[in-house]
Amino acid sequence: MKRILTLTALMAAALPLIPAAAQAEALFWSTQAKPVEESQAMREQVLAGFAGGVDYQGMDNGPWLTRIQAELQAGNGSIAVLGGLHGDLTGLEDGLMDLSTIDTSGIGEAMLALGALGTDQQLYLPWMQATYLMAANREALQYLPAGADLNALTYDQLIAWAAAVHEATGTPRFGFPAGPQGLRHRFFQGFLLPAYTGSTVTEFRSADAVEAWGVFGDLWAHTTPASTNYSFMQEPLLTGDVWIAFDHVARLADAFNQRPDDFVAFPAPAGPKGRAYMPVLAGLAVMKTAPDAAQSMALVEYMLRPETQIATLRATNFFPVKAVDMPADMPASVQAFAPAIATMTGAADALPALLPMGLGDKGGQFSQIYTDTFEQIILAGRPVQDVLDAQAEVLRALMVEAGAPCWAPDAPSDGPCPVN
Amino acid sequence: MTQAPDNPISHDAVRRAGRWVFATGVTVLVLWVLVPIWLLLANALSAPAEVTSFPRSWIPAFDTASLAFFFGYGGVLDALWNSVQVAVVTMILAIGLGAPAGYALSRFDFPGKEAFRFLVIMTRAFPLPLLALPLAVMFIRTGIDDTIIGLALVHATLALPFAVLITFSLFSGIPVELEEAAWTLGCTRFQAVTKVVLPLAAPGIAASAVFAFVISWNEVFAAAVLTIQNRTLTAFLLQSLDVSPLHLKFAGGAVLVIPALLFIFAVRKYLFAMWGIANR
Repeated sequence: MKRILTLTALMAAALPLIPAAAQAEALFWSTQAKPVEESQAMREQVLAGFAGGVDYQGMDNGPWLTRIQAELQAGNGSIAVLGGLHGDLTGLEDGLMDLSTIDTSGIGEAMLALGALGTDQQLYLPWMQATYLMAANREALQYLPAGADLNALTYDQLIAWAAAVHEATGTPRFGFPAGPQGLRHRFFQGFLLPAYTGSTVTEFRSADAVEAWGVFGDLWAHTTPASTNYSFMQEPLLTGDVWIAFDHVARLADAFNQRPDDFVAFPAPAGPKGRAYMPVLAGLAVMKTAPDAAQSMALVEYMLRPETQIATLRATNFFPVKAVDMPADMPASVQAFAPAIATMTGAADALPALLPMGLGDKGGQFSQIYTDTFEQIILAGRPVQDVLDAQAEVLRALMVEAGAPCWAPDAPSDGPCPVN
Repeated sequence: MTQAPDNPISHDAVRRAGRWVFATGVTVLVLWVLVPIWLLLANALSAPAEVTSFPRSWIPAFDTASLAFFFGYGGVLDALWNSVQVAVVTMILAIGLGAPAGYALSRFDFPGKEAFRFLVIMTRAFPLPLLALPLAVMFIRTGIDDTIIGLALVHATLALPFAVLITFSLFSGIPVELEEAAWTLGCTRFQAVTKVVLPLAAPGIAASAVFAFVISWNEVFAAAVLTIQNRTLTAFLLQSLDVSPLHLKFAGGAVLVIPALLFIFAVRKYLFAMWGIANR
């Protein structure tokens, strides 16, 4: 006991009463590039070249937002630059500085316009972009239905393919990220529903939507039941439990980088209304409470340089927001994804479905509606129309409460986006 | 006349069966604790490809790449040191405030005693994500934001209920007659406490200190919001780990668990003492 007491006393005495050492490092407060390997790569490969140094912190959304609100309320802070998805940054309009003085040449107008967040100022600048893709083990290719083109699949062909694999191997081998951290809601919002209804919100409970959920039910029959545990499809792809999968490119990359010869990437399937896909846009913003505004601006400018954009691509598998010359030695995942993304976005029937906009802090509730619908229809087996009718009411109330007008592919609306 | 059963179960057989049940129970409990820890360590010491392969061998390949990644990972050692500092300060604050409170609760009757006990527990009723925002605003304004002391204050608040309640039952278990005897032999009240009661209560106090340490060590949300440059290990790693590849999850888990295991191993005899096992 004495020894422990002495030890404790010694440690206590050794504690300097730690004044927060004033460091010149700029604090980069981000919801992206959170996985340890990506954070490490951001620090060592992307941000190391910035004069003065950068402290890169990838955070969960909860602490990320709480800290921002605290600094805004307290009126002074230590965060230099914010990094987040478009949806993370909406709702912070009052606390962000205008960035229109920064050179944005080479960035598309449509993308820049998103950064205004509905105001007449440039509140955030596009930082990097990504999307979702399909990936398959090469062993699965032999079961591809006759006449199906991997680069132009339809949902019916995908189901036939997954069924053929199921039959041939005796186990369902389609994989879907339906785990707690999985991005399942994005598949419904940006892929399945728009492909069948041409809409994410307005046609939520239409006959087309009922058909879409029926199609997903058919696919689910050939989906491995372990899918409800999957957050990152790269892991089951690597273990061989899953042969065909859908996920965010950053969550498939590891499989391609570890075993480049074993996997193929290909575009999302098409439905009657088109080949719907969801582009993902991350942005950079500077808070009004930033300790050194000039340094923050310089960091944003640094992040947009072509060489930084390429370094970011290597580190995070998020693609540049402006045209840059790609070096030949990019990682295997980039080499596999770039043509698949180009095929998908350039397809004649391509139908971009944007991430939710104008929902502010209700983005989580919005996604929860799609997750709940999935769980009730597919996992609990409730009647499709009943579930859609009930959830449509929740959705309508949410859109009215948020006052959010429609975003693509829904037709623009004057007031809150209607739910028919 | 009743007949004795044909095959009376002998005492020996009962004792043997009892031993079997005991041994099986102990084995199950030990495996329950050890298998996850073994899996964690074995996977942490495996090469990335091995972690996802199947079937897997039971002996890891002693590939230290995953673990080495963490020690090379910017700031892990600083974060570890911060975690230790916060946990130690939390421990001192929680025991320094909790033990006297526990003593007062067990020895004195005062108005509002029940209300006080209730209020102490109430501090655990509010989720931290709710409290973190106003706390952070206040901390930034008062200048204790991003300091070891500031975070330790929050953690001490979380640990205090346990410290108060454990020491309360501890002091209640020590007969007040011992103190009275000390008074008759010339001790003041204070001396009686320090010379008679505290030595008897020390193992239990140490145990509740361990609790305070572990509570602080494991806390993530407040640590993530209230520290920026002086991150604790959990705030630094935990949020990144749940979205990292499997082999790094295992390695990171090992990095988080091992220091806490070592600490508990070091103070184990005081911990056992709280459960009534003799101080060995």
